[in-house]
Amino acid sequence: MTEMKIMMIDRTLWVSALKALPIEQLLSFTTELSKDWAIRSKSIPQSGLGMLRLNDSAFEEAFYLGEFPLASAWLEIETSDGLIAEGAAQVMDDRIEAAEALALCDAVLSAQLPGWEQLNKMLDQGMEIRESASQNRKHMLASTKVDFSLLDEVAPDAMEGKNAES
Amino acid sequence: MGYVAIKGGGEAIEGTKTVFDYLRTRQGDTAKPLDTDTIEHQLRLLHSRVISEGGVYHPRLASLAIKQAQGDTLEAAFVLRAYRSTQPRLVETPALNTENMRITRRISAAFKDIPGGQMLGATTDYHLRLMRMDLLDESPERFCAVAKEWFTKKTETDIPDSVIPDTFPKVLESLRNEGLLPSVDGTARNRDPFDITREPLIFPVPRSAALATMARAEQGSLLAIAYSNMRGYGDVHPTVAELRVGYLPVMLPHPITGELTEIGEVEITECEVVAMYEEQGSSSVAGGRMPGATEDEEGNDKPTFTLGYGACFGHNEVKAISMAILDRALQAGMKNGPRNPSEDPEFVLLHVDGIDSMGFCTHYKMPHYVTFQSDMDRLRTTQQKQNNKEQTI
Repeated sequence: MTEMKIMMIDRTLWVSALKALPIEQLLSFTTELSKDWAIRSKSIPQSGLGMLRLNDSAFEEAFYLGEFPLASAWLEIETSDGLIAEGAAQVMDDRIEAAEALALCDAVLSAQLPGWEQLNKMLDQGMEIRESASQNRKHMLASTKVDFSLLDEVAPDAMEGKNAES
Repeated sequence: MGYVAIKGGGEAIEGTKTVFDYLRTRQGDTAKPLDTDTIEHQLRLLHSRVISEGGVYHPRLASLAIKQAQGDTLEAAFVLRAYRSTQPRLVETPALNTENMRITRRISAAFKDIPGGQMLGATTDYHLRLMRMDLLDESPERFCAVAKEWFTKKTETDIPDSVIPDTFPKVLESLRNEGLLPSVDGTARNRDPFDITREPLIFPVPRSAALATMARAEQGSLLAIAYSNMRGYGDVHPTVAELRVGYLPVMLPHPITGELTEIGEVEITECEVVAMYEEQGSSSVAGGRMPGATEDEEGNDKPTFTLGYGACFGHNEVKAISMAILDRALQAGMKNGPRNPSEDPEFVLLHVDGIDSMGFCTHYKMPHYVTFQSDMDRLRTTQQKQNNKEQTI
């Protein structure tokens, strides 16, 4: 059942789901989980900037909108039981430790290393936070949606006048 | 008076830091320092402006920049821009599409009925510009109650996707499907954009350079030049086909699987304006056709509306609309040659950056003792020559 559940949240959403949680919660979890593990970097963890390339929707011509902070990490993990797995993450954050924690989670979840069930629950929590934020935005939209059906009750001549004024 | 060396200012300059910081704190014992979250949320539009003009979507550091600059937007954007110059560029995203935006506001001035509907979101557009005196002595309890009330009301029912979907179609698509818009040049999206952070603007520049420059331009500068076009020094007369504000998921390939993965989201404002149509045959330019020009079945240029596009980080509607108007004006200028300042790429793009223009302006406050000494010498010499001439006569 739990194995089914992890399949429900796609790997492409792991970073954004876990990022929705307080960073302290994630760091304390990964620190505790990996205290007896050997962790090696497959590439040098980095923090810097990413450039956002955007398609303009008028002519579908790409241009650079601006930059964003980015941290990345790619780790190889060996558990105290000798299990080995790789995990990597890139995240919109300037803290390398955030990327390392997420890379560790990526390895744990993808290889189902010890602790993955707990992490899966954290994924669910993160998805709930995301859903709550999404609902909040939808409520803002719903409460300000314009009902143009009321305009139909206005005589066309009056509308023309209003349009001309504008 | 001879040459005046710039010496002895060190202690005075150090003193300015102390005085500047003192003024931030002089409110007294009852004052609380501003925290960055407060700036981000309670001054969100000021925050949006700085994040957009700084050119880096870093909400925490944008707040810090505002705090450090004591609310000076130009100075805050400067600090943010300086920060970015110290950071390495690690990656570039694939070209992202704003169809995937998680909308918080979406309106059209072209049609009342747009697919998905018009949603006003958070705006002051329809408010009376009267002082809200109740905010003068707002208690913390009343302040918290506003959000509490919102959340209580919100949690009553969840809104399904069928009522408010996660994403919305673009208004332009319906016009494009009717053949009223220029066709899209399929190769444009694969062209490498001009990177204004790496290359200087040497004219002529591609449209991608203009869009990138305006995306991080100073709002007031963009507005002023766009306003000149609106008032008569131009002919754009735009209709806002769609103005949307929302959050765009930022996607990067996963380092191991290569699958596109969401790494965060950025708030952006985007505007598409539709402007007067192009006459038949007018979409030709030297060396080819104007980007996006449409041909009919017989290969003739078909008259279509023209388009302007604006987008920037944060919630900055005036900026996005101004940018869209200027994009349309600049396209006309690039095609036919500029007929007014807003159609001149060199005039527009070299004068809208807040950091550049503020830097040039404020440099006049710096010591110019030598150059001014030279000016005085020349004036005295000229006066002397004139005196000599008058005495001779």
